[in-house]
Amino acid sequence: MGKQWYQRRVRVVRGDFDLNSNLPEQKVVTVGQFKIGLIHGHQIVPWGDHDAIAAVCRQLDVDVMVSGHTHKLEAYQQDNKFYINPGSVTGAYSPIERNPVPAFILMDIQASTLVIYVYSLPPEGEMEVKKIEFKKGEKGE
Amino acid sequence: SSGINAEYGREAFNMQRSLDKGQLMDGLRHATEMLNELRTSILPPKNYYELYMMVTMELTHLNMYMSAEFIKENKIADLYELVQHAGNILPRLYLLITVGVVYIRSEECSRKDILQDLVEMCRGVQHPLRGLFLRNFLLTSTRDVLPDDETQASDGGTIEDSINFILLNFSEMNKLWVRMQHQGHSRDRTKREQERLELKLLVGTNLERLSRLEGVTVDKYEKQILPAVLKQLVNCKDSIAQEYLMDCIIQVFPDEFHLRTLENTFLDTCCHPQSQVNVRNIIISIIGRLSNFAQADPANIPDDIKLFDIFSVKVTQIIQSRSDMPPEDILALQSALIKLALNVYPSETGYVNQVLQDTLSIFQKEESRAKGCSGELSKLLRVPVDHYQDILVVLQLDAYPKLFSFLELGTRRDLCVYIAEHVIETDTLIYSHEQVDMLWSMLECLVAGGPDDTTVDPEDFECEQALVGRLVHQMTSTVPDQQFLILSTCKKHLTAGGDRRIQYTLPSLIFRAIHLCRVYHELREEDEKWEKKVTKILQYINSLLSSLVKAEFWDLSLRLYLQAALVCDTMGISNAETVGYEFMSQAFAIYEEEVSDSKAQLIAISLIVATFEQTRNFSEENHEPLRSQCFRAGSKLLKKPDQCRAVGLCSHLYWSGRNREGEGEPLRNSTKVLECLKKAVRISNQCMEPTVQVQLFVELLNKYVYFLCNGCEEVSESVLSQLIGKIQEDMPGLESGEITRQIVKHFESTLGFVTHRQLLST
Repeated sequence: MGKQWYQRRVRVVRGDFDLNSNLPEQKVVTVGQFKIGLIHGHQIVPWGDHDAIAAVCRQLDVDVMVSGHTHKLEAYQQDNKFYINPGSVTGAYSPIERNPVPAFILMDIQASTLVIYVYSLPPEGEMEVKKIEFKKGEKGE
Repeated sequence: SSGINAEYGREAFNMQRSLDKGQLMDGLRHATEMLNELRTSILPPKNYYELYMMVTMELTHLNMYMSAEFIKENKIADLYELVQHAGNILPRLYLLITVGVVYIRSEECSRKDILQDLVEMCRGVQHPLRGLFLRNFLLTSTRDVLPDDETQASDGGTIEDSINFILLNFSEMNKLWVRMQHQGHSRDRTKREQERLELKLLVGTNLERLSRLEGVTVDKYEKQILPAVLKQLVNCKDSIAQEYLMDCIIQVFPDEFHLRTLENTFLDTCCHPQSQVNVRNIIISIIGRLSNFAQADPANIPDDIKLFDIFSVKVTQIIQSRSDMPPEDILALQSALIKLALNVYPSETGYVNQVLQDTLSIFQKEESRAKGCSGELSKLLRVPVDHYQDILVVLQLDAYPKLFSFLELGTRRDLCVYIAEHVIETDTLIYSHEQVDMLWSMLECLVAGGPDDTTVDPEDFECEQALVGRLVHQMTSTVPDQQFLILSTCKKHLTAGGDRRIQYTLPSLIFRAIHLCRVYHELREEDEKWEKKVTKILQYINSLLSSLVKAEFWDLSLRLYLQAALVCDTMGISNAETVGYEFMSQAFAIYEEEVSDSKAQLIAISLIVATFEQTRNFSEENHEPLRSQCFRAGSKLLKKPDQCRAVGLCSHLYWSGRNREGEGEPLRNSTKVLECLKKAVRISNQCMEPTVQVQLFVELLNKYVYFLCNGCEEVSESVLSQLIGKIQEDMPGLESGEITRQIVKHFESTLGFVTHRQLLST
């Protein structure tokens, strides 16, 4: 599993502490019928602002916008677009989110349906899994 | 040898035929001829053994014939007499043994006398190879007829007689075996020794037979058997015999016997100055056995037998008395002792430390004894780490880190890396600053470096230091005051690492300190000194940041200053505000003086603006200069598009930015927002590239849309329409291409959004 194996399978965008790196600021990945935008999120002012993120979504012309930086776990629909913030997998310190809940998200795409499985570990609790579905072009709740 | 096989085969056949015809005398004559083949001197041991096996198998036919025939007719005694007249001694003795066993089974004689007779008469064959096999035949033939009782049976013979029988056979066999060493030319010595080893089982079987006697009690073993065997071992002065037979003793006799004889008899002989034996293997073997015995059931070891003490003392004696013992042997012995301590006395960490201390003393007294032992010593030092799975226990062993100085630098580093990885993988938490101090001291070569620093591969070095950075996170206490002591201790050690290391290691500390501020803030109701403590932590952070700045890590320290500023902001105390302002200033200073690449500048100023936007507790007295500073810095960027974007970002500061006076409410300064955006538009107008211009216009349009959606009054519909009009005007004139296509799409999505949200009434 050398470098090339990873390069074919892993997509990386630049984070605020990625110094001296040639990583791109943002990326668009097409999977099935979905165009997915990736950005770390520290570039978006204000951090975590839904409207500001939506502006990036428009700029990249994607159906799904994945951003992070805030360590705040979110998955929501807005104006026919789907927004995902997978939080922090380790629950690491964040200046803006007190006591982040460790979480990660798996995404499954079949034709025009996108399903995410949100795994999170609340304090003093068992791991929870939540399933959310997003159909392209459909209005969400 | 095929000739010999043919000979014996023929005689064997004839013997059988005679016996079938009931002609015993003829049978015996043929048997004698067959046995004559065993008188050969030309066969090497392996081949002699094959011949021996075939011949002695034929003798079982004779045995069976005699058992059947002569027991009927009560003429065994005569037969026993008869076979003693065979010509050559070797066939004579084989026949005598064969008949003797039948005789014993007939119960017509004194068993004791016959056995005594046989074992003595075998002295007649002094040729080592032939003698060994002959006596082996004696031992195996008498397997089932040795008396095994205390009380004398009717036909004579007690367990005592059996013991004496076997002991005599054993010592005679050993003498023969040792004699082989001195036969022949010195140049053939290796070959001879190899042949001797092939025959070792013959001698060892005596001991094994002894161990199978049911009547052999631990007393008999202690008082009679072991002393006799050891005497033979010591007196023969032969290292092959000593080594094999010591090991044999360990293997064949039960653990209870060893326990009884351990301290005074067995180990003393082992360490006897005349003993040539490879003490290392013997000791390790016996320790291993008794270890397993103890682990199987702790009750197996009587309370008065302090296994560890016994072995510990002995091993020290052995090492001291053999000044030429190589380091790998010394360490192998210590390793066996440590494993004994860990497995049999798991709660006695003192024992483990004692072994380490003894090793340390040996090496300190005579440094040359440690030469070349790095690999073995390193293996030894991993044992407690692997066993306890808890570095905190290892830290209790005060002799442990002192041994590190005897490791070569490369091996030492590897061990430190191993320990660090182990702590992380087991997620061991080190919760007191004393323990933290000890651990960092132990890992000194990793943390502070050594003379070999420059020779380490840069990638390896980076991995190692990243490991150190991760290790910081394992050092944590839930008690905030203790956590601060931990952080101070870490600082002491990690700053000694020098400029090459701190870029990897200090960020962890800084984030831990930042986190600690939050903890104190959360507990502020319960701790009246919390403000003072937070101030102290901020000073701590500042000092670490200064180190990074001094070492010229600009990008890193700029970002860390911003993170630190954010935490200052959440403290809500005036001390913290001052420090926070100072941190922001430092970030700006670095930005202005040290970030020279234009791409890096845009990234840096964007981050400063984004971070500053999050603060809410700067008084206006501090907030205003910072706002202006952001704006100024943005508008001074070299490239127009960068200026445009940076200034555009600043608009948010006037909208969602907060100061203390607002008490949590955002500034909502519409006028300034529009001013910013208009400035950005003006800057776009100054861009020469039409494509870039229009691209910027569309981005700014989205900013307008954002503020309009969020209720910013100055960003009116007309302002929006105006910009839309401008874009629509310029768009057709753009060169076709991918970028233009994207800009058009962006514009259309934006218009779509405007329509969808009904932002324009027209």
